[in-house]
Amino acid sequence: MSEKSEKFIVPIGPQHPALKEPGHFEFTVDGEVVTGASVRLGYAHRGIEKATESRNWTQNMYLLERICGICSHIHALAYCLGVEKLAGVSAPPRAQAIRSVVAELERIHSHLMWLGVAAHEAGFETLFMYSWRDRETLMDVLEALTGNRVNYSANLIGGVKFDINADQRDTILRALEFLEERTAHYMDIVTTDVVFLRRTRGIGTTSAAQAELLGLVGPTARASGVARDVRIDAPYAAYADFPVTLILHNVGDLESRFIVRINELLESYRLIRQILDHMPEGELTARVPRRIKEGETISRVEAPRGELFYFIKSNGSDTPERIKVRTPTMCNMASVPVLGIGQQLADIPMILAGIDPCFSCNDRAAVIHQGDDGDTWTWERLRQYGIDYYRGQP
Amino acid sequence: MRMGAMLTDVIRALFQRPATRQYPFVRTDAPERLRGRLHWDGEKCTGCSLCVKDCPAQALEVFMVDKATKRVVLRYHLDRCTYCAQCVVSCRQSALTMSHDEWELADTDKVLFTITCGDDADVQRMEELAPKDAVEQP
Repeated sequence: MSEKSEKFIVPIGPQHPALKEPGHFEFTVDGEVVTGASVRLGYAHRGIEKATESRNWTQNMYLLERICGICSHIHALAYCLGVEKLAGVSAPPRAQAIRSVVAELERIHSHLMWLGVAAHEAGFETLFMYSWRDRETLMDVLEALTGNRVNYSANLIGGVKFDINADQRDTILRALEFLEERTAHYMDIVTTDVVFLRRTRGIGTTSAAQAELLGLVGPTARASGVARDVRIDAPYAAYADFPVTLILHNVGDLESRFIVRINELLESYRLIRQILDHMPEGELTARVPRRIKEGETISRVEAPRGELFYFIKSNGSDTPERIKVRTPTMCNMASVPVLGIGQQLADIPMILAGIDPCFSCNDRAAVIHQGDDGDTWTWERLRQYGIDYYRGQP
Repeated sequence: MRMGAMLTDVIRALFQRPATRQYPFVRTDAPERLRGRLHWDGEKCTGCSLCVKDCPAQALEVFMVDKATKRVVLRYHLDRCTYCAQCVVSCRQSALTMSHDEWELADTDKVLFTITCGDDADVQRMEELAPKDAVEQP
Protein backbone atom coordinates (compact mmCIF):
# COMPACT_ATOMS: atom_id res chain seq x y z
CA MET A 1 0.00 0.00 0.00
CA SER A 2 1.40 3.35 -0.92
CA GLU A 3 1.77 5.97 1.75
CA LYS A 4 -0.73 8.28 0.09
CA SER A 5 -3.68 5.89 0.14
CA GLU A 6 -3.38 5.19 3.88
CA LYS A 7 -6.18 6.61 5.93
CA PHE A 8 -5.56 8.27 9.22
CA ILE A 9 -8.48 7.96 11.62
CA VAL A 10 -8.84 10.16 14.69
CA PRO A 11 -11.08 8.50 17.27
CA ILE A 12 -12.85 10.91 19.61
CA GLY A 13 -14.71 9.71 22.67
CA PRO A 14 -16.62 7.88 24.06
CA GLN A 15 -15.36 9.81 27.10
CA HIS A 16 -16.07 13.52 26.83
CA PRO A 17 -16.14 14.13 23.08
CA ALA A 18 -16.21 17.92 23.44
CA LEU A 19 -19.11 17.66 25.87
CA LYS A 20 -19.39 15.81 29.12
CA GLU A 21 -21.54 13.05 27.74
CA PRO A 22 -20.60 9.80 26.02
CA GLY A 23 -20.52 9.41 22.24
CA HIS A 24 -17.91 8.00 19.91
CA PHE A 25 -16.81 9.68 16.69
CA GLU A 26 -14.27 8.58 14.12
CA PHE A 27 -12.90 11.16 11.76
CA THR A 28 -10.79 10.26 8.76
CA VAL A 29 -8.41 13.11 8.21
CA ASP A 30 -6.14 14.31 5.47
CA GLY A 31 -3.77 16.60 7.31
CA GLU A 32 -6.11 18.83 9.29
CA VAL A 33 -9.10 18.44 6.98
CA VAL A 34 -11.81 15.90 7.77
CA THR A 35 -12.57 13.63 4.83
CA GLY A 36 -14.89 11.11 6.44
CA ALA A 37 -16.82 10.75 9.67
CA SER A 38 -18.87 8.21 11.56
CA VAL A 39 -20.78 8.43 14.80
CA ARG A 40 -21.65 5.75 17.32
CA LEU A 41 -24.13 6.40 20.08
CA GLY A 42 -25.81 4.31 22.71
CA TYR A 43 -23.39 4.51 25.63
CA ALA A 44 -26.02 6.02 27.89
CA HIS A 45 -28.88 3.70 27.00
CA ARG A 46 -30.93 3.29 30.16
CA GLY A 47 -33.93 1.20 29.12
CA ILE A 48 -36.40 3.85 30.19
CA GLU A 49 -39.01 2.91 27.58
CA LYS A 50 -39.14 -0.66 28.89
CA ALA A 51 -39.19 0.57 32.47
CA THR A 52 -42.34 2.61 31.78
CA GLU A 53 -44.24 -0.62 31.21
CA SER A 54 -43.86 -1.64 34.85
CA ARG A 55 -44.98 1.65 36.41
CA ASN A 56 -48.36 3.28 36.60
CA TRP A 57 -49.32 6.40 34.64
CA THR A 58 -48.46 8.77 37.48
CA GLN A 59 -45.11 7.19 38.31
CA ASN A 60 -44.10 7.28 34.65
CA MET A 61 -44.38 11.04 34.54
CA TYR A 62 -41.49 11.30 36.99
CA LEU A 63 -39.48 8.63 35.21
CA LEU A 64 -39.88 10.30 31.81
CA GLU A 65 -39.10 13.68 33.30
CA ARG A 66 -35.68 12.26 34.07
CA ILE A 67 -34.87 11.38 30.46
CA CYS A 68 -33.21 14.77 30.20
CA GLY A 69 -31.76 16.86 32.97
CA ILE A 70 -31.96 20.06 30.97
CA CYS A 71 -35.37 19.84 29.33
CA SER A 72 -37.16 17.83 32.01
CA HIS A 73 -40.41 19.82 32.03
CA ILE A 74 -40.99 19.41 28.32
CA HIS A 75 -40.74 15.60 28.58
CA ALA A 76 -43.32 15.50 31.34
CA LEU A 77 -45.46 17.95 29.37
CA ALA A 78 -45.37 15.85 26.19
CA TYR A 79 -46.30 12.79 28.22
CA CYS A 80 -49.10 14.52 30.14
CA LEU A 81 -50.60 16.02 26.97
CA GLY A 82 -50.56 12.57 25.37
CA VAL A 83 -52.14 10.82 28.35
CA GLU A 84 -54.77 13.55 28.67
CA LYS A 85 -55.59 13.13 24.97
CA LEU A 86 -55.99 9.37 25.50
CA ALA A 87 -58.21 9.90 28.53
CA GLY A 88 -60.31 12.49 26.70
CA VAL A 89 -59.58 15.16 29.32
CA SER A 90 -57.93 18.51 28.84
CA ALA A 91 -56.18 20.54 31.48
CA PRO A 92 -57.83 23.87 32.45
CA PRO A 93 -56.62 27.02 30.62
CA ARG A 94 -54.79 28.40 33.65
CA ALA A 95 -52.86 25.15 34.02
CA GLN A 96 -51.97 25.24 30.31
CA ALA A 97 -50.71 28.81 30.68
CA ILE A 98 -48.54 27.86 33.67
CA ARG A 99 -47.19 24.88 31.71
CA SER A 100 -46.22 27.23 28.89
CA VAL A 101 -44.55 29.67 31.28
CA VAL A 102 -42.42 26.90 32.80
CA ALA A 103 -41.65 25.52 29.33
CA GLU A 104 -40.44 28.94 28.17
CA LEU A 105 -38.40 29.48 31.34
CA GLU A 106 -36.84 26.12 30.68
CA ARG A 107 -36.08 27.12 27.09
CA ILE A 108 -34.34 30.26 28.37
CA HIS A 109 -32.21 28.27 30.80
CA SER A 110 -31.38 25.70 28.12
CA HIS A 111 -30.42 28.28 25.48
CA LEU A 112 -28.32 30.28 27.95
CA MET A 113 -26.59 27.09 28.95
CA TRP A 114 -25.98 26.21 25.31
CA LEU A 115 -24.58 29.68 24.68
CA GLY A 116 -22.05 29.04 27.42
CA VAL A 117 -21.16 25.53 26.24
CA ALA A 118 -20.76 26.59 22.62
CA ALA A 119 -18.60 29.54 23.67
CA HIS A 120 -16.51 27.16 25.79
CA GLU A 121 -15.99 24.88 22.76
CA ALA A 122 -14.76 27.88 20.82
CA GLY A 123 -12.36 28.73 23.65
CA PHE A 124 -14.32 31.84 24.62
CA GLU A 125 -14.29 31.14 28.36
CA THR A 126 -15.39 34.64 29.34
CA LEU A 127 -18.70 34.34 27.51
CA PHE A 128 -19.13 30.87 29.03
CA MET A 129 -18.67 32.15 32.58
CA TYR A 130 -20.88 35.22 32.20
CA SER A 131 -23.75 33.49 30.42
CA TRP A 132 -23.79 30.81 33.10
CA ARG A 133 -23.72 33.42 35.83
CA ASP A 134 -26.78 35.04 34.29
CA ARG A 135 -28.46 31.68 33.85
CA GLU A 136 -28.23 31.31 37.62
CA THR A 137 -30.80 34.14 37.96
CA LEU A 138 -33.21 31.99 36.05
CA MET A 139 -32.43 28.85 38.01
CA ASP A 140 -33.35 30.76 41.17
CA VAL A 141 -36.62 31.82 39.55
CA LEU A 142 -37.41 28.23 38.60
CA GLU A 143 -36.57 27.08 42.12
CA ALA A 144 -38.83 29.71 43.68
CA LEU A 145 -41.62 28.93 41.25
CA THR A 146 -41.56 25.13 41.15
CA GLY A 147 -39.59 24.04 44.19
CA ASN A 148 -36.60 22.56 42.43
CA ARG A 149 -33.76 23.70 40.22
CA VAL A 150 -33.74 20.73 37.89
CA ASN A 151 -36.59 18.22 37.70
CA TYR A 152 -39.30 20.78 38.35
CA SER A 153 -42.19 18.29 38.61
CA ALA A 154 -44.58 21.08 37.70
CA ASN A 155 -46.98 18.83 35.82
CA LEU A 156 -49.68 16.51 36.95
CA ILE A 157 -51.72 14.37 34.61
CA GLY A 158 -54.62 16.77 34.13
CA GLY A 159 -53.00 20.01 35.22
CA VAL A 160 -50.20 21.54 37.24
CA LYS A 161 -49.16 21.35 40.88
CA PHE A 162 -49.01 25.05 41.71
CA ASP A 163 -50.25 28.50 40.86
CA ILE A 164 -48.20 31.60 40.04
CA ASN A 165 -48.95 34.28 42.62
CA ALA A 166 -48.33 38.03 42.40
CA ASP A 167 -44.98 37.81 44.21
CA GLN A 168 -43.67 35.14 41.91
CA ARG A 169 -44.94 37.04 38.90
CA ASP A 170 -42.86 40.03 40.00
CA THR A 171 -39.81 37.82 40.59
CA ILE A 172 -40.10 36.40 37.07
CA LEU A 173 -40.56 39.84 35.49
CA ARG A 174 -37.58 41.26 37.39
CA ALA A 175 -35.37 38.38 36.27
CA LEU A 176 -36.53 38.77 32.67
CA GLU A 177 -35.69 42.46 32.70
CA PHE A 178 -32.12 41.71 33.78
CA LEU A 179 -31.78 38.83 31.32
CA GLU A 180 -33.15 40.82 28.41
CA GLU A 181 -30.44 43.43 28.84
CA ARG A 182 -27.75 40.75 29.12
CA THR A 183 -29.08 38.82 26.12
CA ALA A 184 -28.94 41.92 23.92
CA HIS A 185 -25.34 42.34 25.08
CA TYR A 186 -24.50 38.72 24.16
CA MET A 187 -26.09 39.18 20.76
CA ASP A 188 -23.81 42.13 20.24
CA ILE A 189 -20.77 40.07 21.28
CA VAL A 190 -21.40 36.99 19.14
CA THR A 191 -22.06 39.08 16.04
CA THR A 192 -19.17 41.54 16.41
CA ASP A 193 -16.24 39.93 18.25
CA VAL A 194 -13.80 39.31 15.43
CA VAL A 195 -11.95 36.43 17.09
CA PHE A 196 -15.15 34.60 17.92
CA LEU A 197 -16.54 35.14 14.43
CA ARG A 198 -13.49 33.37 13.01
CA ARG A 199 -14.78 30.27 14.80
CA THR A 200 -18.41 30.60 13.75
CA ARG A 201 -18.88 32.51 10.49
CA GLY A 202 -19.02 30.19 7.47
CA ILE A 203 -18.34 27.07 9.59
CA GLY A 204 -20.57 24.03 9.18
CA THR A 205 -22.91 25.77 6.76
CA THR A 206 -26.13 23.84 6.19
CA SER A 207 -28.37 24.86 3.31
CA ALA A 208 -32.14 24.71 3.66
CA ALA A 209 -32.25 21.79 1.24
CA GLN A 210 -29.62 19.93 3.24
CA ALA A 211 -31.49 20.62 6.47
CA GLU A 212 -34.68 19.24 4.94
CA LEU A 213 -32.86 16.19 3.64
CA LEU A 214 -31.21 15.43 6.98
CA GLY A 215 -34.48 16.02 8.79
CA LEU A 216 -33.12 18.65 11.14
CA VAL A 217 -35.43 20.06 13.81
CA GLY A 218 -35.59 22.97 16.20
CA PRO A 219 -33.22 25.96 16.23
CA THR A 220 -30.70 23.96 14.16
CA ALA A 221 -33.21 23.76 11.28
CA ARG A 222 -34.48 27.31 11.78
CA ALA A 223 -30.91 28.63 11.45
CA SER A 224 -30.93 27.18 7.93
CA GLY A 225 -34.18 28.90 7.04
CA VAL A 226 -36.46 25.88 7.51
CA ALA A 227 -39.72 27.13 9.03
CA ARG A 228 -40.33 24.36 11.54
CA ASP A 229 -41.62 24.94 15.06
CA VAL A 230 -44.19 22.70 16.74
CA ARG A 231 -45.42 25.64 18.82
CA ILE A 232 -46.57 27.24 15.57
CA ASP A 233 -47.33 24.24 13.36
CA ALA A 234 -49.40 22.33 15.93
CA PRO A 235 -49.95 24.57 18.98
CA TYR A 236 -50.23 22.76 22.32
CA ALA A 237 -50.70 23.93 25.93
CA ALA A 238 -51.34 27.69 25.78
CA TYR A 239 -49.52 28.42 22.52
CA ALA A 240 -52.76 28.66 20.53
CA ASP A 241 -53.87 31.62 22.69
CA PHE A 242 -50.40 33.12 22.96
CA PRO A 243 -48.83 32.72 19.52
CA VAL A 244 -45.08 32.47 19.08
CA THR A 245 -43.22 34.44 16.42
CA LEU A 246 -41.14 32.18 14.23
CA ILE A 247 -37.43 32.97 14.47
CA LEU A 248 -35.62 32.28 11.22
CA HIS A 249 -32.20 32.95 9.80
CA ASN A 250 -31.13 31.74 6.43
CA VAL A 251 -27.36 31.47 6.37
CA GLY A 252 -27.10 28.13 8.15
CA ASP A 253 -23.61 28.45 9.61
CA LEU A 254 -22.70 28.35 13.29
CA GLU A 255 -23.16 32.10 13.59
CA SER A 256 -26.79 31.80 12.48
CA ARG A 257 -27.38 29.17 15.12
CA PHE A 258 -26.15 31.64 17.70
CA ILE A 259 -28.37 34.36 16.25
CA VAL A 260 -31.44 32.11 16.12
CA ARG A 261 -31.05 30.87 19.67
CA ILE A 262 -30.41 34.32 21.08
CA ASN A 263 -33.41 35.71 19.20
CA GLU A 264 -35.46 32.85 20.60
CA LEU A 265 -34.41 33.95 24.07
CA LEU A 266 -35.78 37.43 23.36
CA GLU A 267 -38.97 35.88 21.96
CA SER A 268 -39.37 33.74 25.09
CA TYR A 269 -39.07 36.85 27.31
CA ARG A 270 -41.80 38.54 25.29
CA LEU A 271 -44.02 35.46 25.40
CA ILE A 272 -43.69 34.95 29.16
CA ARG A 273 -44.59 38.59 29.77
CA GLN A 274 -47.61 38.26 27.52
CA ILE A 275 -48.82 35.10 29.25
CA LEU A 276 -48.29 36.59 32.72
CA ASP A 277 -50.23 39.73 31.73
CA HIS A 278 -53.19 37.78 30.36
CA MET A 279 -53.23 34.81 32.68
CA PRO A 280 -56.57 32.99 32.37
CA GLU A 281 -58.41 32.46 35.66
CA GLY A 282 -59.73 29.14 36.88
CA GLU A 283 -58.89 25.70 38.17
CA LEU A 284 -55.44 24.13 38.14
CA THR A 285 -56.35 20.50 37.64
CA ALA A 286 -58.90 18.37 35.86
CA ARG A 287 -59.82 14.91 37.09
CA VAL A 288 -58.21 12.07 35.19
CA PRO A 289 -59.09 8.43 35.90
CA ARG A 290 -56.35 6.13 37.20
CA ARG A 291 -57.00 3.72 34.35
CA ILE A 292 -56.59 5.23 30.92
CA LYS A 293 -58.92 4.20 28.08
CA GLU A 294 -57.56 1.76 25.55
CA GLY A 295 -55.99 3.40 22.52
CA GLU A 296 -52.88 4.97 21.12
CA THR A 297 -51.81 8.50 20.47
CA ILE A 298 -48.89 10.69 19.55
CA SER A 299 -47.87 13.87 21.28
CA ARG A 300 -45.50 16.46 19.82
CA VAL A 301 -43.97 19.43 21.58
CA GLU A 302 -41.16 21.87 20.86
CA ALA A 303 -38.32 21.13 23.27
CA PRO A 304 -35.47 23.66 23.48
CA ARG A 305 -33.56 21.50 20.98
CA GLY A 306 -36.42 20.83 18.58
CA GLU A 307 -39.38 18.58 18.11
CA LEU A 308 -39.92 16.04 20.87
CA PHE A 309 -42.14 13.15 19.91
CA TYR A 310 -44.03 10.74 22.16
CA PHE A 311 -46.02 7.68 21.13
CA ILE A 312 -48.23 6.36 23.91
CA LYS A 313 -50.30 3.20 23.80
CA SER A 314 -52.71 2.13 26.48
CA ASN A 315 -54.41 -1.22 26.95
CA GLY A 316 -56.97 0.13 29.37
CA SER A 317 -55.06 -0.68 32.55
CA ASP A 318 -53.24 1.58 34.98
CA THR A 319 -49.89 1.04 33.25
CA PRO A 320 -49.00 1.96 29.66
CA GLU A 321 -48.59 -0.79 27.08
CA ARG A 322 -45.84 1.02 25.18
CA ILE A 323 -44.19 4.42 25.23
CA LYS A 324 -41.80 5.48 22.50
CA VAL A 325 -39.78 8.66 22.77
CA ARG A 326 -37.89 10.39 19.98
CA THR A 327 -35.79 13.27 21.14
CA PRO A 328 -34.57 16.14 18.93
CA THR A 329 -30.90 15.16 19.21
CA MET A 330 -31.73 11.91 17.41
CA CYS A 331 -32.82 13.95 14.39
CA ASN A 332 -29.99 16.46 14.53
CA MET A 333 -27.12 14.06 15.21
CA ALA A 334 -27.08 12.83 11.59
CA SER A 335 -25.92 16.26 10.50
CA VAL A 336 -22.64 16.09 12.44
CA PRO A 337 -20.84 13.47 10.28
CA VAL A 338 -22.23 15.07 7.11
CA LEU A 339 -21.33 18.65 7.96
CA GLY A 340 -17.98 17.68 9.40
CA ILE A 341 -16.61 16.57 6.02
CA GLY A 342 -14.39 19.20 4.48
CA GLN A 343 -14.00 21.12 7.73
CA GLN A 344 -10.94 21.56 9.89
CA LEU A 345 -10.63 18.95 12.64
CA ALA A 346 -10.45 21.76 15.20
CA ASP A 347 -13.91 22.97 14.15
CA ILE A 348 -15.55 19.59 14.82
CA PRO A 349 -16.27 20.23 18.53
CA MET A 350 -17.98 23.48 17.53
CA ILE A 351 -20.05 21.74 14.85
CA LEU A 352 -21.07 19.10 17.37
CA ALA A 353 -21.94 21.70 19.98
CA GLY A 354 -23.82 23.65 17.31
CA ILE A 355 -26.71 21.18 17.28
CA ASP A 356 -26.95 21.43 21.08
CA PRO A 357 -26.63 17.67 21.53
CA CYS A 358 -27.99 15.79 24.51
CA PHE A 359 -26.62 12.26 24.35
CA SER A 360 -28.45 10.64 27.23
CA CYS A 361 -31.79 11.86 25.90
CA ASN A 362 -31.06 10.39 22.59
CA ASP A 363 -29.87 6.90 23.41
CA ARG A 364 -32.45 4.24 22.76
CA ALA A 365 -32.42 0.97 20.87
CA ALA A 366 -32.66 1.35 17.11
CA VAL A 367 -32.34 -1.50 14.65
CA ILE A 368 -31.69 -0.64 11.03
CA HIS A 369 -33.31 -3.30 8.88
CA GLN A 370 -32.65 -3.44 5.18
CA GLY A 371 -35.03 -5.18 2.81
CA ASP A 372 -38.78 -5.37 2.43
CA ASP A 373 -39.57 -8.40 4.57
CA GLY A 374 -40.81 -7.68 8.07
CA ASP A 375 -38.73 -8.28 11.14
CA THR A 376 -39.90 -8.76 14.70
CA TRP A 377 -37.74 -8.47 17.76
CA THR A 378 -39.25 -10.33 20.67
CA TRP A 379 -38.16 -9.74 24.24
CA GLU A 380 -36.37 -13.13 24.23
CA ARG A 381 -34.52 -12.28 21.02
CA LEU A 382 -33.45 -8.89 22.41
CA ARG A 383 -32.26 -10.55 25.60
CA GLN A 384 -30.29 -13.17 23.69
CA TYR A 385 -28.83 -10.44 21.49
CA GLY A 386 -27.68 -8.61 24.62
CA ILE A 387 -26.06 -11.73 26.06
CA ASP A 388 -24.30 -12.55 22.78
CA TYR A 389 -23.18 -8.96 22.33
CA TYR A 390 -21.46 -8.85 25.66
CA ARG A 391 -19.82 -12.21 25.00
CA GLY A 392 -18.35 -10.58 21.91
CA GLN A 393 -20.32 -12.36 19.18
CA PRO A 394 -23.15 -10.12 18.08
CA MET B 1 -16.08 44.07 14.06
CA ARG B 2 -13.99 44.54 17.13
CA MET B 3 -11.58 42.69 19.40
CA GLY B 4 -12.12 41.82 23.05
CA ALA B 5 -15.85 42.47 23.08
CA MET B 6 -16.15 41.25 26.66
CA LEU B 7 -13.26 43.24 28.06
CA THR B 8 -15.53 45.82 29.68
CA ASP B 9 -17.47 43.05 31.49
CA VAL B 10 -14.23 41.59 32.80
CA ILE B 11 -12.87 44.92 34.05
CA ARG B 12 -16.19 45.83 35.67
CA ALA B 13 -16.27 42.44 37.42
CA LEU B 14 -12.96 43.26 39.13
CA PHE B 15 -14.81 45.78 41.27
CA GLN B 16 -17.82 43.58 42.03
CA ARG B 17 -18.44 41.01 44.71
CA PRO B 18 -18.12 37.35 43.61
CA ALA B 19 -21.26 35.98 41.95
CA THR B 20 -20.97 32.69 43.83
CA ARG B 21 -22.56 32.13 47.22
CA GLN B 22 -20.36 31.48 50.23
CA TYR B 23 -22.16 28.27 51.24
CA PRO B 24 -21.80 26.68 53.84
CA PHE B 25 -20.51 29.82 55.65
CA VAL B 26 -23.48 31.86 54.49
CA ARG B 27 -26.68 29.89 54.21
CA THR B 28 -29.37 31.63 52.17
CA ASP B 29 -32.98 30.82 52.94
CA ALA B 30 -34.60 28.33 50.62
CA PRO B 31 -37.72 29.49 48.74
CA GLU B 32 -41.12 28.71 50.31
CA ARG B 33 -41.90 26.14 47.66
CA LEU B 34 -38.70 24.13 47.92
CA ARG B 35 -39.46 20.45 48.26
CA GLY B 36 -37.53 19.17 51.26
CA ARG B 37 -38.03 16.42 53.83
CA LEU B 38 -41.48 14.84 53.99
CA HIS B 39 -43.64 15.22 57.11
CA TRP B 40 -46.58 13.05 58.02
CA ASP B 41 -49.57 13.74 60.24
CA GLY B 42 -50.66 10.44 61.80
CA GLU B 43 -53.93 11.91 63.06
CA LYS B 44 -55.13 12.69 59.53
CA CYS B 45 -53.85 9.55 57.79
CA THR B 46 -56.44 6.88 57.03
CA GLY B 47 -53.93 4.38 55.66
CA CYS B 48 -55.39 4.38 52.13
CA SER B 49 -51.89 3.87 50.65
CA LEU B 50 -52.52 6.10 47.64
CA CYS B 51 -49.15 7.76 48.32
CA VAL B 52 -47.43 4.37 48.19
CA LYS B 53 -49.11 3.53 44.87
CA ASP B 54 -48.10 6.80 43.24
CA CYS B 55 -44.59 7.16 44.65
CA PRO B 56 -42.23 6.80 41.68
CA ALA B 57 -39.30 5.83 43.91
CA GLN B 58 -40.86 3.34 46.38
CA ALA B 59 -39.86 5.68 49.16
CA LEU B 60 -42.97 5.11 51.27
CA GLU B 61 -44.41 2.15 53.10
CA VAL B 62 -47.69 2.27 54.98
CA PHE B 63 -48.51 -0.28 57.70
CA MET B 64 -52.02 -0.65 59.03
CA VAL B 65 -51.40 -1.69 62.63
CA ASP B 66 -55.04 -1.73 63.70
CA LYS B 67 -57.77 -1.52 61.09
CA ALA B 68 -60.62 -0.84 63.50
CA THR B 69 -59.05 2.19 65.20
CA LYS B 70 -57.14 3.28 62.04
CA ARG B 71 -53.71 3.09 63.67
CA VAL B 72 -51.20 3.63 60.88
CA VAL B 73 -47.42 3.67 60.76
CA LEU B 74 -45.48 5.22 57.89
CA ARG B 75 -41.98 4.22 56.95
CA TYR B 76 -40.20 6.86 54.87
CA HIS B 77 -36.97 6.18 52.99
CA LEU B 78 -35.19 9.50 52.77
CA ASP B 79 -32.52 8.11 50.46
CA ARG B 80 -34.98 6.77 47.90
CA CYS B 81 -37.15 9.87 47.85
CA THR B 82 -36.85 12.03 44.72
CA TYR B 83 -38.68 14.98 46.35
CA CYS B 84 -41.26 15.18 43.58
CA ALA B 85 -44.18 15.86 45.99
CA GLN B 86 -46.53 13.47 44.18
CA CYS B 87 -47.48 11.90 47.54
CA VAL B 88 -48.44 15.34 48.86
CA VAL B 89 -50.71 15.83 45.84
CA SER B 90 -52.12 12.29 45.99
CA CYS B 91 -53.04 12.45 49.70
CA ARG B 92 -56.72 13.22 50.02
CA GLN B 93 -56.51 13.86 53.77
CA SER B 94 -53.65 16.40 53.50
CA ALA B 95 -51.66 14.26 55.90
CA LEU B 96 -48.40 14.78 54.02
CA THR B 97 -46.44 18.00 53.69
CA MET B 98 -42.94 18.86 52.55
CA SER B 99 -40.72 21.09 54.60
CA HIS B 100 -38.97 23.89 52.74
CA ASP B 101 -36.04 24.42 55.08
CA GLU B 102 -34.98 20.83 55.78
CA TRP B 103 -32.87 20.12 52.73
CA GLU B 104 -29.39 19.42 54.13
CA LEU B 105 -30.15 15.74 54.50
CA ALA B 106 -26.87 14.07 53.64
CA ASP B 107 -25.39 11.71 56.21
CA THR B 108 -22.74 9.03 56.49
CA ASP B 109 -25.00 6.60 58.35
CA LYS B 110 -27.44 4.76 56.10
CA VAL B 111 -29.66 3.69 59.00
CA LEU B 112 -30.72 7.28 59.58
CA PHE B 113 -32.30 7.40 56.13
CA THR B 114 -35.11 5.06 57.10
CA ILE B 115 -37.55 7.05 59.16
CA THR B 116 -40.45 5.38 60.90
CA CYS B 117 -43.26 7.73 61.85
CA GLY B 118 -46.15 6.95 64.15
CA ASP B 119 -47.17 6.43 67.73
CA ASP B 120 -44.46 4.63 69.79
CA ALA B 121 -46.69 1.69 70.69
CA ASP B 122 -47.84 1.36 67.08
CA VAL B 123 -44.27 1.44 65.80
CA GLN B 124 -43.30 -1.29 68.24
CA ARG B 125 -46.20 -3.48 67.14
CA MET B 126 -45.42 -2.83 63.50
CA GLU B 127 -41.79 -3.71 63.96
CA GLU B 128 -42.78 -7.08 65.39
CA LEU B 129 -45.00 -7.65 62.36
CA ALA B 130 -42.70 -6.25 59.67
CA PRO B 131 -39.05 -5.96 60.68
CA LYS B 132 -36.83 -3.44 58.87
CA ASP B 133 -34.66 -4.59 56.00
CA ALA B 134 -31.09 -5.07 57.11
CA VAL B 135 -29.05 -2.06 56.06
CA GLU B 136 -25.61 -2.75 54.68
CA GLN B 137 -23.04 -0.47 56.19
CA PRO B 138 -20.14 0.56 53.97
